[in-house]
Formats: sequence, structure tokens, C-alpha cells
Amino acid sequence: MDHELHTSEEIKTVENVEKKLREEAKLLLAEKKVDVLVGYEAGTLPMTATPCFITAPEEADRLVWNAFCVQNLAKFVQDLISLHRQSQQRVKPEARTRKVVGVVARGCTTRSLVIQLQERQFNRDDIFVVGVPCGGYVDKCKVAARVAGQEIREASLVGDQLSVKTAGEAKTLPLGEILADNCLTCRFNNPVISDLMIGSPAPAMAPESEYAGVEAHEKLSLAERWSYFEKEMAKCIRCNACRQVCPSCYCPVCFAEQSQPQWVGISEDETDTQVFQIMRLYHMVGRCVDCGSCVAVCPMGVDLRTFLKKLDKDVFELFGNRAGSSLEDLPPLSQFKEDDREDFIYDPQKAK
Amino acid sequence: MSENQAPSSWEPKIVAIVCNWCTYAGADLAGISRIQYPPNVRIIRVPCTGRINPFYVVKALQAGADGVLVSGCHPGECHYLTGNLSARRKFATLKRFLSYIGVEGDRTMFTWVSASEGERFSQVIKGVTEAVRALGPARNLVKQL
Ligand code: SF4
Ligand code: SF4
Ligand code: SF4
Ligand code: FES
Repeated sequence: MDHELHTSEEIKTVENVEKKLREEAKLLLAEKKVDVLVGYEAGTLPMTATPCFITAPEEADRLVWNAFCVQNLAKFVQDLISLHRQSQQRVKPEARTRKVVGVVARGCTTRSLVIQLQERQFNRDDIFVVGVPCGGYVDKCKVAARVAGQEIREASLVGDQLSVKTAGEAKTLPLGEILADNCLTCRFNNPVISDLMIGSPAPAMAPESEYAGVEAHEKLSLAERWSYFEKEMAKCIRCNACRQVCPSCYCPVCFAEQSQPQWVGISEDETDTQVFQIMRLYHMVGRCVDCGSCVAVCPMGVDLRTFLKKLDKDVFELFGNRAGSSLEDLPPLSQFKEDDREDFIYDPQKAK
Repeated sequence: MSENQAPSSWEPKIVAIVCNWCTYAGADLAGISRIQYPPNVRIIRVPCTGRINPFYVVKALQAGADGVLVSGCHPGECHYLTGNLSARRKFATLKRFLSYIGVEGDRTMFTWVSASEGERFSQVIKGVTEAVRALGPARNLVKQL
């Protein structure tokens, strides 16, 4: 069967996208167009979906696509391909195999894939991108706040409403009020690259206000900004979960573990954690797609986004680049222009 | 804040990370020509500004530098052609980011000094030293041993 036949159909609701996704996944695996498909399956707790790896057509019915799908799956694409490549190094050249990794990808996931492609992690034909339209995912903290932190026993999505049941009460919340902050202002909620698009594009979110938080933070005084940074980073326990989950963090040896030179100290001094954070955040210049995975995974609720968004804003202001938005472009720090802005360069003549 | 008042004996410590081919030679020229500049600066020589990992700047601040200066060849004059142009992008974003989190903008300075600009080198060091002196000793991000 030809895939083109499906793509022209109008698939509006999320449930239909899910159904179509399973059908297409079956075909892709049966036709051996992909060796593995990275997607989401229902989690074991209410309101969760976990990444899954589908390798046979009959498993495709496990796939889900809904507003509980949080994690950016590009992480696993890079992982699978690099592990496979490593394993092939021990194999005779003539016996080497290639693996095509399929991935269920919404806007931010495809942007991460673009970054990995720009950074030459794999070739375009090593991956098969099953694009899905995205209307954002639910921020569990926001839901918890609405039910006074009680344990959610049941949750179901109907249209743009989330119904939750706790031991004592049942509540229906409009999705618009409980979506993650990064989703609410997402500029690329539809895939920027895809080999197969499921359903029709999702309506736009509200990207006009994506930097509102950063702009407000910039207006604070220096002392206020420092105390905010100090307070947020004091929560960090250096578990490295934010790095583990980030699709742009795939360095074989991360600076955080490097010992020669040792970039970050491991003492209890708070500056060690601050320096770790500055360095990790700074590594995201032009490489953060605001997928929110690091924020969602942080066990201490560190506000990483206020800082990541600043880097994103500056890169756009200075170099006109939006991370991972175009396969033709190079990452902003891998290129330069002769007339890049220089107003920050110190001039002793002017300083007088 | 009174605790931030520098004791009168305090002198700013400035780490200058400079490229071998221009600014280091410029510093040399200043020396040979006996042009005076403040002794507050500790110079670290690197092959090119493109070689400078932005982490160096952060590490220097954590290690107690009151100010960090990065200087290399003027655009178009880099010994490796474009090292300073890549560096310019890194430092443009780094400077803004550090100031955003709350490190005073004048603690991290970036400039160009060519091999023939001994006079400019001395002016830069004077200017940076005075700017950092005005800020007082660094507190944020400094590791207390
Ligand atoms: S830093 Fe966080 S928001 Fe940015 S790409 Fe990585 S996981 Fe996503
Ligand atoms: S924090 Fe930096 S060094 Fe570590 S994995 Fe991420 S990008 Fe690589
Ligand atoms: S996930 Fe949170 S607590 Fe863990 S290292 Fe990252 S910021 Fe720190
Ligand atoms: S050699 Fe001086 S900046 Fe590159």
C-alpha cells in the first residue's frame, strides 16, 4: 500500500491520529521500512505515557498519541543509532547492517532531529520521521495544583477537556489551563521535517508571547536576577536528569563528568552547582528546542526554562536563528557572518 | 551594602585571556615601548580566541577573578582567518547570559588589540581595571574555599 493515500485524508481528532498512527506503524514495520519505531505507549499511572520501542507489526497497537506524551523522543533516536553504529565496528565490513529508526515526532522532536542531523549524528535516511500534529502536553504540576496535590486515581481526555478523579473529588479541567508553559507558546507544534505526516496540521499556539517571561526577568535588577538564579540553583541536586533526557545532550563524555580538566567541582559549595548549571545551559545555545523535557523530568522543580529561553531569545536577536527550524541552516555557533553584531566589544576610546 | 565595600587595600584581579598573535604581541609591544598599564592583570596566552572555551571565563570567575578580559586579533586579522569570528558569536551570547543570571556586565569584557597597538593594550587594561574597580570585589559565583 502506498503511504501517500493516507496523508491526504483529513484526520482531525487526536483519537483518529492515534488510530492512523497504529495502522501506518504496522505497514512501516511489515514493509521493513523501519527496523524499530520509537513511540509512546500508555504509562502505568494515570496521566502518563512512556516511550516504547516497537519492532513488530503486531506490537503497533500499543502506540498512543495524546496530551500525556511528554518526553522528546529524539533522544532515543540518537541513542539507538549511535549504539548500533558502535556495535557495527566489531563486525566485518561486508557483514555490517544498517538500521532505520522510525520515530513518532511532533514539532519539537523534529527540531531536535534537525539539530542532530546538522551536527552529523546520522544521515537523513537513517531515520524515518512519522510526523504527528501536536496540541501540547499536560503539565502534571499544574494539574496537581488544581486538585490540591492529591493523588490522581483516574484521568481521561475527551476533546480539549481532562477529567481527573482523586480519592475525594472528580474534576474536569480545560486543557488550555493545564498545558505546559513551553507548549502554550510553541512556535513549531507541527513537524518541521517528516517522511510521513499523520493527520492535518494542528492549529497554531501562541508564539507571540514566547519571550514574555524572559522579558519580565530582564527588567529585574541585577541583584534580583542573581538572587533568583541562586535560589533556583540551590534546589538542584545535580542528579543530571535534565542532561540525560535532553536530545541535544549526547556527548560521549559530558563536561560534567570530565576529570581532566575537571570543569565542575563536586563540593557542597553552591557555586559548584551554579557553574554546572551555567555550563549545561550555555551548551544549549542554538540547540534548545524548548521541548520542556528537562523541566518535566527535574525532580526538584528547578526553573530551567527562564534561562534556556533567554539563550534562545538572544540567538534569534543576534543571529536570526531558531534552533532546529531548518535543515539547510547551520547551528548558530557553527557559523558566523562578517558583520555580526559587535556592540558588546569593549572600546577604550568610547569608554572614557 | 556595607559588606560589599572594598577595603582600601583591595586591588581588582583581572584575568586576561589573549591570543598569541595579536593581543599578546600587543602587550609585548607595550612592554618594549615602556607604556605603563596597571599591574592588576594576569595574562593567559592561547593560540587564538577561537581556542577559548567559554567555560574558561566561567571558571575564572568561580576561581575568584574580579574581571575577565578576552582579547584577540581584529576581525579579518585572525592568524587562523576566522577563529575570532566564531569566538565573537560565543562571547556575544555568553556576556548577555552571564549578565542575565546576575553577573555584572563589566566583569566580562571582550575586545580586539592588534600586535601594533601597544598603546591600545594599555588603554584597555586601564579601562577594564577601572570598570572592575568601580564594581568592587566579585561576590557572585566565587567559590569560597
Ligand atoms: S534543554 Fe531542555 S527544553 Fe531544551 S532541548 Fe534539552 S530537554 Fe528540551
Ligand atoms: S551538558 Fe554539554 S557536555 Fe554534557 S552532554 Fe550536554 S552538551 Fe554534552
Ligand atoms: S534535573 Fe533538576 S535537580 Fe537534576 S541536575 Fe537537572 S536541574 Fe538539577
Ligand atoms: S589568532 Fe588572534 S584571534 Fe585568532
